[in-house]
Amino acid sequence: MNAHRGHFKSALTTIRANRGRSFLTMFGVIVGVASVVTVVGIGEGVKHQLSKQIDQLGKNVLTIRPASLNGQQAGQSLTTLGSYVASGSLSEDDVHQVATAKNVQVSVPLSIVAGTPQGDNSYKNGPVLATTSNLPKVLSQSMAYGGFFANDDVNQDVAVLGQTAAEQLFNQDVPLGRSFTFRGQQFVVSGVFNQFAAAPFSNDIDFNKAIFIPDSAASQLVSTSPPLYEILAKVDNQNSLNTTATDITKRLLKTHGNQQDFSVLKPSQSLAASTAIFNTFTELIVGVAAISLFVGGIGIMNVMLVSVTERMHEIGVRKAVGATNRQILHQFIIEAATLSVLGAFIGIIVSLIIDVVLWITTSLSPVISWQIMILATVVAVFSGIIFGSFPAMRAARKDPIEALRSE
Amino acid sequence: MPVIELQDVSRLYGFGDATTLALDEVNLTIEKGEFVAVMGPSGCGKSTLMNIIGLLDHPSHGSYKLYDRYVDRLRPSQAAKARRDTIGFIFQSFNLLPKLTVLENVALPLVYKGIKPVKRLKLASNMLERVGMQNREYFFPSQLSGGQVQCAAIARALVNDPNLLIADEPTGNLDSAGSRLVMELMSELHKMGNTIIFVTHNPELTRYATRVVYMRDGTIVHDEKKSLGEVAQTARRMMYTLPVASEEDDLAGVSTLMKALPAKPTKSRQKAAKKTTTKGTKTTRRKARR
Repeated sequence: MNAHRGHFKSALTTIRANRGRSFLTMFGVIVGVASVVTVVGIGEGVKHQLSKQIDQLGKNVLTIRPASLNGQQAGQSLTTLGSYVASGSLSEDDVHQVATAKNVQVSVPLSIVAGTPQGDNSYKNGPVLATTSNLPKVLSQSMAYGGFFANDDVNQDVAVLGQTAAEQLFNQDVPLGRSFTFRGQQFVVSGVFNQFAAAPFSNDIDFNKAIFIPDSAASQLVSTSPPLYEILAKVDNQNSLNTTATDITKRLLKTHGNQQDFSVLKPSQSLAASTAIFNTFTELIVGVAAISLFVGGIGIMNVMLVSVTERMHEIGVRKAVGATNRQILHQFIIEAATLSVLGAFIGIIVSLIIDVVLWITTSLSPVISWQIMILATVVAVFSGIIFGSFPAMRAARKDPIEALRSE
Repeated sequence: MPVIELQDVSRLYGFGDATTLALDEVNLTIEKGEFVAVMGPSGCGKSTLMNIIGLLDHPSHGSYKLYDRYVDRLRPSQAAKARRDTIGFIFQSFNLLPKLTVLENVALPLVYKGIKPVKRLKLASNMLERVGMQNREYFFPSQLSGGQVQCAAIARALVNDPNLLIADEPTGNLDSAGSRLVMELMSELHKMGNTIIFVTHNPELTRYATRVVYMRDGTIVHDEKKSLGEVAQTARRMMYTLPVASEEDDLAGVSTLMKALPAKPTKSRQKAAKKTTTKGTKTTRRKARR
């Protein structure tokens, strides 16, 4: 054990003496560990954000969307928002069916009105959603300024904005009372929502970017009724979610002629859809990172072989003063392991830096998990030991007199 | 009880047509407490003999008994342990590790014995004090003079209390002051009861030895016991005929000395000659190794 500590110290000395070469050796390990830790961190962060997004919708809110979206298949079929709406399979009648279903307290239709609102700037980044005054009852979200349109406002041309929409349309945070033109009609801003929790890689519309207008006002703007994006239905309590979901499905199947061209999603399901897509993505990156770790291991082997050749004389001296083959073997394996541990350590630091930068500059909020750090380190150490043993064995088997002669 | 008993020890290098004979059936017995100087021209097999005695190399034929134990067929790990515990080896080129301090270098054999860091540094420090280097502990070998480096190397050889010291031209890379320093130290160690074998080209240094062995072409041609403090008889014969100033002169001197020696083609020599001719091998001898 004492000899091992000595080996560790001499390994550090060697690494310090050949800084450039050691860094290049560690590079593969650094890249591998950094990418694994970062990607898994981002993945965990996204899952966390997604569940927060589900939470704000409320745990007892069912989402009814056009087009069939099976919970299990969601991961495989990367359905985009466009195809949901384009199918246009939900109608005003369905809104009525959902509203009268068992245990449904409130139901709110959300439909997309095509067009570009023109305020201080023209706004193309988000949709205009026509809805009823019941929306705040379904969303567990408070207003930052003003209020949502009430029942008696529905015929008036008022609008409520998400925060991003407010900023981009008017270049200011509190555009209450300001107006914008949409399809030739003036709308007055009556309220601005607080920041919604929005998850990246989500299929759902980011409500921060949305403009909400009353659906009666919307129906005056367009000749046909606008396509429904979704119907939100709030259920009495969480326990009746399943029965209500089946009831709604049964009712809608009847009106749709037994054709399942819609989907009724429980909160957990809409989460599953997004996480499944993201998991595939994560697995891919982790695979690439594993290859990078393997290549890093080969790099370690290469450098250790050079190191063994270069230090043959030293090996000879050590053997001459009584080092056994096994002790030389241990020394070189410990050196390889030290290289990979250092590489893993630097990789973790790099990934922490990347995480912080992502946190600041993007909407991602990576979660730093110590489990994955330990896992990545263990894998790195193992690759170091495995790839370091071959050069170490070559060093250990060398005849002492041969080793001493090489300079 | 003899410390070293070599019986018909031969060492061959290479194989087939390129075989060279470095040692040719050498017989040598060294008793405890002897201070043996080995002399001979370059390439005569002195270093090979030292390596075999020091268990760095093993004989191709013949037997070697060290402290009454056969060691010519030891496994590598056993040989390593024997080197560590019973033999101190001193090289012409010092062979200290340049990246370690003098103290760490001296403690190196103790690392492989598994002694705790604090204890081994203490032991190494004591040993450095014995060779008069206590104020150079934290120097690197490159910061010391040749004589001092060799003293540190001797301290390293002694740190395991080996009793047997083997020195392959310990003064070969040193100036006369360094040589004197090293030889005085070795002579002191001899007085303390250590058995010492050293190779030298300098006849003057036989003054320190109790026995002088002359080698040529892989065999021992002359073996002379003498009293301490005197230059060996055979060596003296040419000492005054040639001024000894540099190592090259030393080499020339030894060659002259060898010519002065009575040529005695022994039986084994003839046998060896036959052996080499029947195999059709070249008669080139192994080149001198530093």
